[in-house]
Amino acid sequence: MGILDNKVAIVTGGSRGLGKVYCLRLAEEGARVVVADILEKEAQAVVDEIKAAGGQAIAVKTDVTSEEETVRMAEETVKKFGSIDVLINNAGYYYGMVRQPFYEVPVEEWDKAMLINAKGNWLCARAVFPQMKKQNKGKILNIASEACFAPTKGFIHYTASKWAAIGLTRVLAGELGQYNICVNIIAPGVIDTEATATYLDFEKMNTSSVPMGRFGKPDDVVGAVVFFASDDSDFISGQSLLIDGARRVN
Amino acid sequence: MGRLDNRVAIVTGGAKGLGKAFCFALAKEGAKVVMAAHRMDEESTKAVKEIEAMGGIGVTVDVTDEKSTLQMAEETAKKFGRIDILVNNAAFYYGVGRQLFHEVSSEDWDRALAVGAKGAWLCARAVFPHMKKQEKGKIINLSSEVAFSPTKGMIHYVTSKAAVIGITRVLAGELGQYNICVNAVAPGFTDTPASWTIGNVAKFDVGSIPLGRIGVPEDIVGAVIFFASDDSDFISGQTLLVNGARRVN
Repeated sequence: MGILDNKVAIVTGGSRGLGKVYCLRLAEEGARVVVADILEKEAQAVVDEIKAAGGQAIAVKTDVTSEEETVRMAEETVKKFGSIDVLINNAGYYYGMVRQPFYEVPVEEWDKAMLINAKGNWLCARAVFPQMKKQNKGKILNIASEACFAPTKGFIHYTASKWAAIGLTRVLAGELGQYNICVNIIAPGVIDTEATATYLDFEKMNTSSVPMGRFGKPDDVVGAVVFFASDDSDFISGQSLLIDGARRVN
Repeated sequence: MGRLDNRVAIVTGGAKGLGKAFCFALAKEGAKVVMAAHRMDEESTKAVKEIEAMGGIGVTVDVTDEKSTLQMAEETAKKFGRIDILVNNAAFYYGVGRQLFHEVSSEDWDRALAVGAKGAWLCARAVFPHMKKQEKGKIINLSSEVAFSPTKGMIHYVTSKAAVIGITRVLAGELGQYNICVNAVAPGFTDTPASWTIGNVAKFDVGSIPLGRIGVPEDIVGAVIFFASDDSDFISGQTLLVNGARRVN
């Protein structure tokens, strides 16, 4: 008995890091989970883990920058589970990103960030929209970053792409409200994941800027994902929620 | 089995309107609820009876009076042994009137700020020693969509609700070290008896609301439960609008 019983949830980039944590918890709350990722083997491992715990899940190979693949992701989901109730637009370009000043970011890197972090969200939303419209209900959750709310140094392409995600969240909320589809965005702070560890040494991080005295763990973020996927947030749309131990406020 | 089993929650302005809905929702999730009300009239007394049947209690409080807020915290601790959740919901809203800024009386201004802003601060002060001792706590302040809109009228009410956001942010900064999370929920126009004193709720133009309707109290309770639960343990200082996407933050 979970608060997402009978819901069908797609998690893009669901094979590792935060996305994997979202998949496991959504399944624990009763959702049938579609692990959508370009990494097929890793996605299948998450599916196996969910099944071993008694849940239901499938893996669908998805490149969120390909319209064709996002449409197929939606089709496979409906074919297997009959509905799409929740889309977690978690796939993003973050892993391996280099922290450079704005004048050093290669143009290709800028394009890649915008392609995956902005266009990918839009394409996935487009792909699930017909099904959610038919159901007259749906939940779309996008992922921004605390970086959007801070005088960040470096990562201009990442931060701009995450603000773009906030912008598209607001327009989608405006356009999809009439179909009872809620669209929101969460903005995690520094979270101890493999991707973050590629540019930060957590042992040496100064936590004095965080009122709650520590940086985040994946488990700190997943509660908000469940909330925005659940019926508890049925009248909330277009909003951005920071999850960062009060380091920044919005 | 609820998400707030064994938690103790205080809700100010808890016997009517939104506050009453919060009390029942928290109790359904397993919390022991202290329904704190300014006046125990017939409606409030009935609500207290209902919360008592769910394992809670009613207390009388004037949130603008320091001594009274301390008594509320003491009674709660005496009865239930702890204080996990404070919902600062009391406000001067019922009958506040929609006057323009130059028409609002000085007395009404003082009352709106006393109940809505100072009240939230005093109640937070009152529960703080208990939450500090527990090394955990959740404070949820009620702001309003009006603080995010070019509202016409109710300058005193809007100012009090904007002040609540300031209070939320400073408390988040100061109380984080004690693992106390402080967040604000900002509902849009919600169908409650108090809203009917502001205008004809049924005639509200829902064309400005993407979700196509105004809210009902049940729309707001989910956000309160979320901020009261362990699922929001790393979220503090934030303001969440619950308004069908009419305004965004």
